[in-house]
Amino acid sequence: MDLSQYAELFLAEAREHLSACNQLLLEWERNPTNPGPVGGLFRAVHTVKGMAATMGYAGVTDVAHRIESLLDLFRRNAHPASEEVIQLLFRARDALHQAVELSVEGRERELALAEIIAELDDAAGRVASAAPGGRVSSLPTPTPPTPPTPQAPGGPAAAPAQGRLVRVVLRPEAPLKGGRALLVLRKAQSLGAVYGVTPSPPELEADDFDGSLAFRLESSAPAEQVEATLRAAGDVEQVTVGGAEVPGPPREAASGAVEAGEVVRSRHTRVDRRRLDALMDLIGELVTARGRLSELAAERRDPAVDDVAIQISRLSSDLQTEIIQARMTPVWQLFDRFPRLIRDLARELGKQVAFRVEGKEIELDRAILDELGDPLLHLLRNAVDHGIETAAERRRQGKGPEGEVVLAAVREHSSVAISVADDGRGIDRTRILERARRDGVVEARAEALSDDQLLRVLARPGFSTAERVTSVSGRGVGVDVALTRMRALGGSIELHSELGKGSTFVLRLPVTLAIVRALIAGVGRERYALPLTYVSETVELGTAATTTVEGREAIVLRDRVVPLVHLRELLGVAGEIPPARRPIIVVEMGGRRAGVVVDGMLGQQEIVVKSFDAPQGTLPVFSGATIMGDGIPALILDAGGLL
Amino acid sequence: MSDAGIVRLLLFRVGGLTWAAEATMVREILPRLEPTRIPGAPRAVAGLINVRGTLVTVVEGWRALRQPEPPAGTQSGSTVLLQVSRGRKVVGFTVDEVTDLVSVDGAALDRRQALPGVDPSLVQAVGRRAGQLFVVLNTDALLTPILAS
Repeated sequence: MDLSQYAELFLAEAREHLSACNQLLLEWERNPTNPGPVGGLFRAVHTVKGMAATMGYAGVTDVAHRIESLLDLFRRNAHPASEEVIQLLFRARDALHQAVELSVEGRERELALAEIIAELDDAAGRVASAAPGGRVSSLPTPTPPTPPTPQAPGGPAAAPAQGRLVRVVLRPEAPLKGGRALLVLRKAQSLGAVYGVTPSPPELEADDFDGSLAFRLESSAPAEQVEATLRAAGDVEQVTVGGAEVPGPPREAASGAVEAGEVVRSRHTRVDRRRLDALMDLIGELVTARGRLSELAAERRDPAVDDVAIQISRLSSDLQTEIIQARMTPVWQLFDRFPRLIRDLARELGKQVAFRVEGKEIELDRAILDELGDPLLHLLRNAVDHGIETAAERRRQGKGPEGEVVLAAVREHSSVAISVADDGRGIDRTRILERARRDGVVEARAEALSDDQLLRVLARPGFSTAERVTSVSGRGVGVDVALTRMRALGGSIELHSELGKGSTFVLRLPVTLAIVRALIAGVGRERYALPLTYVSETVELGTAATTTVEGREAIVLRDRVVPLVHLRELLGVAGEIPPARRPIIVVEMGGRRAGVVVDGMLGQQEIVVKSFDAPQGTLPVFSGATIMGDGIPALILDAGGLL
Repeated sequence: MSDAGIVRLLLFRVGGLTWAAEATMVREILPRLEPTRIPGAPRAVAGLINVRGTLVTVVEGWRALRQPEPPAGTQSGSTVLLQVSRGRKVVGFTVDEVTDLVSVDGAALDRRQALPGVDPSLVQAVGRRAGQLFVVLNTDALLTPILAS
């Protein structure tokens, strides 16, 4: 059968299972005597094996099979895993991952799996002989023979493993019903043996397959677990797990269940990201057109036109909310790759590091999440490499031998804060200060570095490479990358560091890139948009006293000096003399503030952020452009660039 | 552009001269739109315009071709959307007037590049139509340096 059309689906699902393997292996490694994670590992590898077999990826199937055999020994005997076995399983998981990626790309020939397969077989042999008879006396109940029957904790253990009739109805609108049905069968196989499939697998692939199938499943898993597992295949409308001959409910009842909202869980479906991007572009244009329509309606003063304009306005707002929501992705999709990474790095450096992740469920726009991988990687690596001390050094400091690194996501009102914190040695300011004085980042007579100044020193490109020997070697490189990327995303970075206690980097990001609320400011005949996220307040020039600080004009606002930026001069705006009373927009980012002097305020509105090709010489103070309600573009000011 | 075969050219007027661009490079012809200035950009860049939701950078034709500034108040003319960088980008180019779309025999074009008052690197060939000279522009050579980011 030709399954190439399912390759992407296979890849996405296999990646999820392999990511789960990493988490489970880490859990097992922390506590090798607890066999808890083994069942999950077995099921994940088994599922990958089943899917790969369907796709005809022999290499993947083979490696998965060997891993599964090794895991099976632990699953049945529940004896503790040796360090060596766990390390082998980590490597085997990586080999399996690589095999999956290469197979999907059609590069199966490049696979070199002989070595890992031999190692797995070896290990399986040793583990089997170490537990003769495959039994461990301490096990409360004898493990049943093959086929394996995983049991849900707390499930009805008494249920005998006999084939139950399972009926599955796919959603009528599901595309590629045949492939979906195969995935359902794969999912079922992860629970136990599957037989008696009707219609037969070749018929499932026929064009007229109506999306309902039945099979017998030999598994003691409770019905709810079977249902949940099968629904995970996606596009499943209904699952009936019956006894021997219980007929499924008629189709009418099935559609009734849909209306009752029972199938909400199965509504998850994979959507190509390009399609989401296209939708976002279209809604962007719609929002612009809506603005124009509202303006026209206001000019016409025709109640009928007004009504339609209001209705369209409301509909497009709802649509926009829905599409933005569809693009939201939980941060765990990115965070899940880090525990393994931290573990590997800590081992390599001979350090003990406990890694904790908080706020996994917080959501961000997919486009932002995609850009966060690199900066977080740098910051986490720094935390382990330069932040956390060796166990011996920690003991001398009166700390526990194990350092802690915490990656946390927190939703703030219109932004998300992601922090990377370590309880390590902190940053030695005196050393950095010397360097900063020499580089002229601070005045020669500066006595101390604030957190903000410290960040700026660390973020200087190439800062650390010249001073490899200092305690922060390498730190600058990562901070530089992170800061640049945050700027591009319209976000900011904060740093808090205390000597001997640790450092925390906080990355603050907009929840979505595409549409933001902005203040529209007028300068001469030009208009500029300033995202509200960074606007802290507005005051009027003339009412606040101006002063001069370090040669720059500034105002004093509640005892704080805020330097002024005259937009008219900065941007070289031509035209008439500005009005005497002008608004100052106070922007704030990462603890720094500036007062942006403009000619007038033209209101607030939602703007669609678009990029433009900035020609050479363009002032580095724009983060993009937007199209205003009248169809004319306006540039978006970047708070980071103004500060 | 090959010497042999028929070449389709868009003819337009900027300043005192008639210019031509290969029709395959022309995406669209729009009326002149008021662009939004990009602070700091080279003088030849007029700014950004909105083409059905996409932002397009516009180059001021008379500045790029070093022609005299049109008298104040003449806001007529057209914006020609041209493909540059092998079709990867679209750029607007303002002209005083689009005059014609012609098919000419490539062999009839003169490879000559030296013309008084015109940068030779921008000239691909020179043609003649109804006794009137026109300069076939190398649009990539003209626009790419202005827009380099």
